[in-house]
Amino acid sequence: MPVEKNITLERPSNIKLICQFTTSGDLNSVNVTWRKDDEILETNYLNATGSILYTQYMFTIVNSKQMGSYSCVFGEKKEQRGTFNFKVPELHGKNKPLINYVGDSVVLKCKCQDCFPLNWTWYSSNGSVQVPVDVQMNDKYVINGKNANETRLKIMQLSEEDRGSYWCHAIFQLGESEEHIELVVLSYLVPLKAFLAIAAEVVLLVAIILLCEMYTQKKKEHSDDGKEFEQIEQL
Amino acid sequence: MAKVNRAQSTSPPDGGWGWMIVAGCFLVTICTRAVTRCISIFFVEFQTYFSQDYAQTAWIHSIVDCVTMLCAPLGSVVSNHLSCQVGIMLGGLLASTGLILGSFATSLKHLYLTLGVLTGLGFALCYSPAIAMVGKYFSRRKALAYGISMSGSGIGIFILAPVVQLLIEQFSWRGALLILGGFVLNLCVCGALMRPITLKEDRTTPEQKHVCRTQTQDFKRGSSYSTLTKEWVQTCLCGSLQQEYSFLLMSDFVVLGISVLFMAYGCSPLFVHLVPYALSVGVSHQQAAFLMSILGVIDIVGNITFGWLTDRRCLKDYQYVCYLFAVGLDGLCYLCLPMLQRFPLLVPFSCTFGYFDGAYVTLIPVVTAEIVGTTSLSSALGVVYFLHAVPYLVSPPIAGWLVDTTGSYTAAFLLCGFSMIFSSVLLGFARLVKKMKKNQLRFLAKESDPKLQLWTNGSVAYSVARELDQKDGESVAIAVPGYSST
Repeated sequence: MPVEKNITLERPSNIKLICQFTTSGDLNSVNVTWRKDDEILETNYLNATGSILYTQYMFTIVNSKQMGSYSCVFGEKKEQRGTFNFKVPELHGKNKPLINYVGDSVVLKCKCQDCFPLNWTWYSSNGSVQVPVDVQMNDKYVINGKNANETRLKIMQLSEEDRGSYWCHAIFQLGESEEHIELVVLSYLVPLKAFLAIAAEVVLLVAIILLCEMYTQKKKEHSDDGKEFEQIEQL
Repeated sequence: MAKVNRAQSTSPPDGGWGWMIVAGCFLVTICTRAVTRCISIFFVEFQTYFSQDYAQTAWIHSIVDCVTMLCAPLGSVVSNHLSCQVGIMLGGLLASTGLILGSFATSLKHLYLTLGVLTGLGFALCYSPAIAMVGKYFSRRKALAYGISMSGSGIGIFILAPVVQLLIEQFSWRGALLILGGFVLNLCVCGALMRPITLKEDRTTPEQKHVCRTQTQDFKRGSSYSTLTKEWVQTCLCGSLQQEYSFLLMSDFVVLGISVLFMAYGCSPLFVHLVPYALSVGVSHQQAAFLMSILGVIDIVGNITFGWLTDRRCLKDYQYVCYLFAVGLDGLCYLCLPMLQRFPLLVPFSCTFGYFDGAYVTLIPVVTAEIVGTTSLSSALGVVYFLHAVPYLVSPPIAGWLVDTTGSYTAAFLLCGFSMIFSSVLLGFARLVKKMKKNQLRFLAKESDPKLQLWTNGSVAYSVARELDQKDGESVAIAVPGYSST
């Protein structure tokens, strides 16, 4: 069973990775290697005490190329691995699309829970290509953020072309992470049509019921006229 | 000579068009009570859009509930003086306008006015006249008819809650409010269904109004007619209002009113505080939501089955007792609640409380009709629902304050439980006192005159004098026709 550990890293740091291997067999025959994404690294420390094989790997992470998966591998034929995954903090976002109407303004928010990115950027995409949002248009887009760990993109005077996917990128020294927000822009006619349909149904039903009532009342009056006439005659 | 509307004077049909009235009232309950509860689904959206906290947005729900109940007497007045159909259709238009204007709101204050006051007023104009109408069309199967009509509240919430959620996801809250406004327009359809019916009991009121009118006409022909006619018109109006609200002076109704105050105080906090209480004793979110669903579904079952049950011949005369039994049991459930600290114990609590909550809601109009009769039922129901308003408004915040100061839910639940038990005991006590008075009168009559037989009907005793016909030796009993309460 593979042993894995996920590590979230924001800033350049010194790293020390430790692996311990226990076996009942002969320790000296076990071959130990450290690898990064299947590329063999220079092992700098190895110690065997009793039945425990102890190895460690120290290095420094300064840029995004050094992020990835590091593993300590014991043995050659029957491999036992321990993996360390280094990642930048992830952004957790809402999965529901934002629904707005033409002419409204909307605020798209991106927030990082316990991390502080260096910078935030916004992109929009209508297909697969991400296009940066043109912040120079001040009457359309305004980017601001209260704290370092969140960013807001305010889009004003929404139109149908503004619909689609928007991406916010959090830039760290060691990489980038992104989040996706879906924006839907509807015109007022959409709910209005549903409303008018229901209103028409109401008017129709009211008319039918009132006509039925008038009809049954007229029928009753005709049959009653006959009865009254009979009673007056009896008197 | 004016045409005598002989054909319209009938006894309650107990069927036929009555079932259409039940369907109409069912729809009214859905459109008023269920929509009121579903407004709370919009709160999250309002909170994010207007950047306000929960307490500010929760006011909308309180305002709608409060205005609906406070203006219930206004609803009965409008429907008594215009007509039930016009009253309910007007209410539907008003409520729908409130929701439609709410969809264009730009601040929370706008929502308080449109969604809160206007929609609440519209609902008030519909609610009590519709319920009173059901009472006019049914006598033998009254409780069952009421059970089916009132179950609209529970069934409505069940259906509307996911639908409203879907509408908000598809159209955002503005579109959802607009479409909800269209849905509420169906109240006009219910209004059209409420065909007026004149019962035998109602024959006295049109005659009195006729007398009023002829007297004013006579005075108009006289010389100094302006001030005198004004006086007569005023006294006639006061007279008709006095007659409409004459039940307010009945001791039975006053006792009912006080007990309704305490009952409404007790029953409202549970729906607000059950989920937080369950979460505080360690129940998970999904289980707490499940408890609320059980409460809602069993409420519906209680409405219909208890209505059917109390219409059976064996329980028909004891509807009053069934009502206080249901209220008392709900109070007892409240007292047991602080001891129930786990989910398997809370489930039977939800079932029991929900069942009897549905049960007594069905019997409120039945008990009111028993006390005031069908003529004044509309106005009486207006007053009864008016008495619900203030307890509904103050009880959940007071319970919340108790929870905050004492740190646990025990004090709040005990207070509500005792309030409901007091309400039930008060009614039972009043009935006992009445029975004792009846027995006393009977005892006194037997002692005073052996020939006089006393028949007691309600709170007035009528004497039946026996005249012995000496020729034949037969006894001729002359009975004085009296007031019959059904």
